[in-house]
Amino acid sequence: MKIFRRVVWMLLLAATALPAWAHVGSKDVFEDVNAGPYKLFVTVRPPNVIPGVAAIEVRASGPQVSAIRMTPVPMTGEAAKHPPTPDAMKVSADDAQFFTGSLWLMASGSWQVRFEVDGAAGEASAGVPVAAMPLSILPMQRSLGMVLGLLGLILAIGMVGIVGGAVREARLAPGVAPTAGRRRAAWMASAAALIVAGLMIYGGGTWWRVDAASYAAGVYRPLVLQPMLSGNRLVLSFGGYEHRGGLWRVESTDELLPDHGQRMHLFAIRWPEMDAVYHLHPQPVGKRDLGMTLPAMPAGEYRLFADIVHENGFPETLTATLDVPAGMSNAPLGPEDASARPPGISSGELGTNYRLPDGYSMVWDKPAELPANKAYAFRFRLLRPDGKPATDMQPYLGMAGHAAFVKTDGTVFAHTHPDGSAAMPAVMMANGSAMADMSGMPVEPVSPVVEFPYGFPSAGRYRVFIQMKHGGVVETGVFDADVR
Amino acid sequence: MSTAANHPSVLVSQAGAGAQASARRAPVPWYLWVGAIAVTSSSIGGAWDVSWHRSIGRDTFWTPAHMAIYACGVLAGIVGLWLTAQATFGRDKKMRDASVSIFGLRAPLGVFLAGWGGLAMLTSAPFDNWWHNAYGLDVKIVSPPHTLLILGIRAVGVGMLFLILAEMNRAALASEGPAGVVSFRRLQMLFLYLGGLMVGGQMFFVQEYTWDVALHQAAAYIALAIAIPVAFAAFSEASRFRWAATTCAAVYTLFVIGEILILPLVPAQPKLGPVYFPVTHLVPAKFPILIIVPALALDLLWQRTKKWKPWQIALVSGVLFVALVTAVEWPFADFLLSKASANRFFGTIYFDYNARPWSFDRLREFLHPDSGMKLWLGLARASVYAAISTWVGLAFGRWMRGVQR
Repeated sequence: MKIFRRVVWMLLLAATALPAWAHVGSKDVFEDVNAGPYKLFVTVRPPNVIPGVAAIEVRASGPQVSAIRMTPVPMTGEAAKHPPTPDAMKVSADDAQFFTGSLWLMASGSWQVRFEVDGAAGEASAGVPVAAMPLSILPMQRSLGMVLGLLGLILAIGMVGIVGGAVREARLAPGVAPTAGRRRAAWMASAAALIVAGLMIYGGGTWWRVDAASYAAGVYRPLVLQPMLSGNRLVLSFGGYEHRGGLWRVESTDELLPDHGQRMHLFAIRWPEMDAVYHLHPQPVGKRDLGMTLPAMPAGEYRLFADIVHENGFPETLTATLDVPAGMSNAPLGPEDASARPPGISSGELGTNYRLPDGYSMVWDKPAELPANKAYAFRFRLLRPDGKPATDMQPYLGMAGHAAFVKTDGTVFAHTHPDGSAAMPAVMMANGSAMADMSGMPVEPVSPVVEFPYGFPSAGRYRVFIQMKHGGVVETGVFDADVR
Repeated sequence: MSTAANHPSVLVSQAGAGAQASARRAPVPWYLWVGAIAVTSSSIGGAWDVSWHRSIGRDTFWTPAHMAIYACGVLAGIVGLWLTAQATFGRDKKMRDASVSIFGLRAPLGVFLAGWGGLAMLTSAPFDNWWHNAYGLDVKIVSPPHTLLILGIRAVGVGMLFLILAEMNRAALASEGPAGVVSFRRLQMLFLYLGGLMVGGQMFFVQEYTWDVALHQAAAYIALAIAIPVAFAAFSEASRFRWAATTCAAVYTLFVIGEILILPLVPAQPKLGPVYFPVTHLVPAKFPILIIVPALALDLLWQRTKKWKPWQIALVSGVLFVALVTAVEWPFADFLLSKASANRFFGTIYFDYNARPWSFDRLREFLHPDSGMKLWLGLARASVYAAISTWVGLAFGRWMRGVQR
């Protein structure tokens, strides 16, 4: 029991220590993909432990879909060539176009779930990228610990009893009663067995602690982002320690995939009021750094959220804090960069209509209730000063819009697009050349109404930043959400 | 220790005479057959389950391999409950007399061992389930909850072995006539059959060290030296059979060869990724280690050294075991890694679905082979361990020989 309690304590301690370096992304993937003529709205909820089971939901639209099969495949490498046998998804009894299923993700890394769709318009397939990583360890519930402890105790006592019985009677001829000497020997053997049982429990406990610690060490931590500000020049490098207390190793920026033409999407948000936000794009400087001249920014502490995508399609959000001194810069904002200066979060919840500096406004068709973990397609509209839909829309960084969902306690940051929350280079890797044109300009004219598939990962207060472009101006609308 | 047990030659002749006279009269009781079937079922289930994980990957509670393992628990449970009820509450004095009393219950010692194993298996289930939720599905077989499960399965096996042992010993020790005495020879064979399955269990436990690509490392021979002589010596002493070690080794060898010949007939495809080797059928175990050669030598040695002191026997046995197993397995490993063995019998054409193309197994290359001083010192260490292992086995086997309940 003591061992159990100690281990539970250790796990609890480890769990509470985690958020210091836990990642801030939303692990769940919400993605709209086209499988040939079929449109699939896919939700993948990866497990918190790897290997573990991912829960998958697909809502199909377009031509009637009769069946969907799915299989997990690593994004790159030899195993990408050998998909395991696919599983049929279950059709909902209420809705013939809603499919559910679960898949094992056996290793950490960059994966895709491949969907094979069969329906009225023939067969087609599509892939949705999934970043698999162990995120947490589970403490043992008290009741289970007690049950297991009790069973363990019974096993230990049982072992002692069996050894005693074996020494006392097992070697006697049938019917012969044990002598006093045998009884004494049995007691001594029982005592020895008790010591052995104790040692076995202790050894097992030590083994368990070692395994638990090695698992805890394997829990995902993003690379460390190191910002350096000299004057108004920001230089960022990122890397990791080879092991705890080991050598610092800088990651090469060559290895990053361009996402909408940028190697890094950097959100700088003034903390804790979230009353100034900048969407910036530092450019590679040599192989080790990314750098840029910062625009004029109000002084204060900023949280940096830097989105990068690795060569194998694995996305990461790196975080750091940056102190911006007063009068640091008077440089203008870059042409593809964006900013907003909303009221601070302490001055109350923002409404669903956000007035922009140039007289335009952005409106959120906000659902009445916002439960956590529910998948939505959140809709935003850009309106002219006269209240009519904006007409001079342009793509911003190749998309109709960009969204950032940020929890006010800093534990969640998700940069998403109208196609979904998966990183665009990973979506392209998963779907090959079929979607290659998505990297450039959208083929269709840009609409002033944009939907972002997303689900808030936990209850609490969030600030939502929406960016759309019209007439050469990148607008940033800001909204608040209270998620239950 | 009983006096009879100290005089094996006297005992064997008595047993032989008793056995001959009783062969027609007393059948082996049903519960011993059921016990043997139970252990067979868990051995098959275990091999099948490992193959399942290497070929298909994903399983459920209800896979046939799991059912075979549960069947062992159910059969052993039926035997155990029946015997406990008979010995504790029944009127059959013979049953009562041939039982031990633990915490107020009476049953043969083997029943208590098997019951303990059953409880250990049950305990491991919620523990393992929590383990998977906390740390993910185990990639390695040897985790704390799996060890508890394996320990439980082994305890059930040992329990059934002890049931047979007690019956066999009573048959051997019954000096006065054959009345009610069960056929000794049959019990002896049943005992050695289960002993062979136990040897297979020992080989299963050391397989991480005795993978064919690891057979040019001293560690493989150290693992064998620790795990195998103890079983050979114990079963040899306890069974009173001249060829006990050879018989047990043969059971293990045939079991694994059977696995290699049968399992690949069953189609199977991986249901988990990453898949590095496209598997199309169940993947069997690696070819058995040639422990049958040292087993034969040990049997011959033990037939000639009955008058020696145990430590003398152990010392010579240890050196003999390591020398012979190395002498045959080392060159045999060369053969296993060559093209010549790439066929259905030797089975070196089969790989797990997640065997990386760059792994030693797929490349058919030896994993960090030892040579020179390191190898010789390793083999010397192995000989010492084998001697200790033999000594423990002999001592426990002599103790087992006296078990009558």
